[in-house]
Amino acid sequence: MRIFCYALFGLVGLLIQTAVFPRIFPFYLKPDLILILIVYLGVSEKCGPGGLFSFGLGLLNDVFAGSAFGMYGMIFLLVFFGVRSTISYFNAENPFLLLFLVLCGTLFQSGLLVLLGTFAEAGALWQIVLHHLPGQLLMNGVSAAVLMIIATYLQKRFFRLVVPGLQRLDERYDD
Amino acid sequence: MFDLLRRYRRQILISGFILAALLFYSANLRRGGASTLFERAVLQVTAPMQSALDVVWKGAADTWTHYLWLIDAGYENDRLLAENRVLTSELMQVREVRLANERLRKLLDFKAEVDLITLPAQVISEDASSWFRTVVIDKGSDDGVLEGMPVVVAEGVVGRTIRVAADQSRVLLITDASSAVASLIQKNRTRGICRGLGANLTLDFALRLEDIAVGDLIVTSGTGGVFPKGLTIGHVDEVSPVEYGLFQPVSVKPTVDFSRLEEVLVLLRESP
Repeated sequence: MRIFCYALFGLVGLLIQTAVFPRIFPFYLKPDLILILIVYLGVSEKCGPGGLFSFGLGLLNDVFAGSAFGMYGMIFLLVFFGVRSTISYFNAENPFLLLFLVLCGTLFQSGLLVLLGTFAEAGALWQIVLHHLPGQLLMNGVSAAVLMIIATYLQKRFFRLVVPGLQRLDERYDD
Repeated sequence: MFDLLRRYRRQILISGFILAALLFYSANLRRGGASTLFERAVLQVTAPMQSALDVVWKGAADTWTHYLWLIDAGYENDRLLAENRVLTSELMQVREVRLANERLRKLLDFKAEVDLITLPAQVISEDASSWFRTVVIDKGSDDGVLEGMPVVVAEGVVGRTIRVAADQSRVLLITDASSAVASLIQKNRTRGICRGLGANLTLDFALRLEDIAVGDLIVTSGTGGVFPKGLTIGHVDEVSPVEYGLFQPVSVKPTVDFSRLEEVLVLLRESP
């Protein structure tokens, strides 16, 4: 059920990013909902299933973005493992943890894009990344904050409703 | 005699009146349609009174219908508001159809100019990320689209197909960083490669000694194997003269407005 909800969120997020956000946000900038999901997976899921799922989501993203298939699969997998390997150093009680990790994930993703783009003959991709990076950080940060507010509100408002996966945020130390 | 007149006085009087009226009428017929003094005088006198009466009557009627007899006003208002909404909606639709018609007309004119088989397509979505520049069109392999086919609009080159499914294709825009188009400057045939920079393009490998000025038209050279020769790419936006080196940096502004891409043409190599 949890995996199904992640997949559903990923698919809906991708559809929104391709069909809705371009009509709303100017200058090609749009929130990266899949990156936010990957960071959340890094916080809440174990390495095996989380890594596999991140790679799958990356491949799904590759279908809708860029011209080099597999690039986002690699990037999202690395972002997931990056979050997973550093999460134990942070205070899990801090409500801004996810926001901070999303910002770090955006920077990490941008660096990986430039690095992996050199193998894909991506030309001056680094110029585009550098040019849009501040705006992208802002977009992703605001989107992550809004999503967290909505998710926690839903959990508080409908206390019987459990957003699948969200309650695992506090259970990761049980591993 | 007088007895006779007295006896038939009534009949004679009536006949006299009738005869006089007939004569008066006959005389007026001969004068044409001109107004008589009598007519003018009467009109002159009665006109102010008529006006005053009209104002009073209209005022009374207005008071009655607008302030006293308001039984239908609410319904009428609701009906007019609903009608207004419908008409406004129809007007918006008509405007949209008119704009689509203008775009398609331009595309048809361009289609007539291009000596290739073309396939019209609609842009249905854009790239999922902020870093790449691709769009998805609603035509795929079932319609004869193959990978690597040029996509254009009336204003110029859009890009080329990179992924093709049965009913959809992804198009790599020329503004994507991984896009490169063999091109030349129309004025002096200077060759170069137009590469994407997100919003603009850069013309690489333009020789330093070539005379390139802002506003020069850049077209496809036809040597890249994808785009036919002579399609418009953009205009030179900025030239930065350099003192040494082989090439000069040239910035190009595409003629196509990629933020408003709706209908495109795929240039097919063979009939679908």
